[in-house]
Amino acid sequence: MFKKIVASLAVAASMTGCVSLNSVSLTQIPENRNHTITATTDSWNLLGIAFSNDFVDEAILDLKSQCPGGKVEGILTKHQTTAYFLVFKREVIATGYCKKG
Amino acid sequence: MRSAFAIAAVGLLTACARLDHVQIGDIDQTQGNLTPFTVQISEFGIEAAAAAEVGRIATKGQASQQFQEIRDILTLMNMGPRTGNPVYDDSYAEKVMEYMYAECPSGQVTGLTSVREAKGFGPVSGEIIRISGYCIR
Repeated sequence: MFKKIVASLAVAASMTGCVSLNSVSLTQIPENRNHTITATTDSWNLLGIAFSNDFVDEAILDLKSQCPGGKVEGILTKHQTTAYFLVFKREVIATGYCKKG
Repeated sequence: MRSAFAIAAVGLLTACARLDHVQIGDIDQTQGNLTPFTVQISEFGIEAAAAAEVGRIATKGQASQQFQEIRDILTLMNMGPRTGNPVYDDSYAEKVMEYMYAECPSGQVTGLTSVREAKGFGPVSGEIIRISGYCIR
């Protein structure tokens, strides 16, 4: 019985941190790519049960705030889920180029 | 006991949020004042096999057996790749354009974020398309 529990925990631990990529999108890439900005937002949940997706909206606000008065172009958006033991982290990672003036 | 479990399971999954796809568009803050807007379209989706499974757990004997057969048939009927629960209106997403024009009559928009998500209530769900962005005024 003890061996089974240890084996189960070992299997669970070995699977910890596995990432699945849910969606990817990319917009037009600008010629000037000097100023890269990144915004990451995440949401943790137990057993994959989440009650809201509002964390997504924080990513665009973060991108906007990193390029005040400018244009953000070439945005690569990744939506991924990392599975830990019984706990999941959902992430939106947006990377783009800020063009000012 | 089984009925209580089924009810508890449905209750646990009540208002569960699912996120399928996120896309963030270019953000132009050089054109003037940006007014945020959000449009959302939701369509009724149902996981018929899950509904039959709840029926199977909640009943006993022959009724439970019949629910199991129905569940198996529904599972086979709905096999294959898909995003979310099936819906009965395959054109509901098309309304998003007219809703956007209503929110931003100038048609000048930036920072569009497209989200495909769902709110699940046991075997039924609201299959949602949410577009948020900024109207340039």
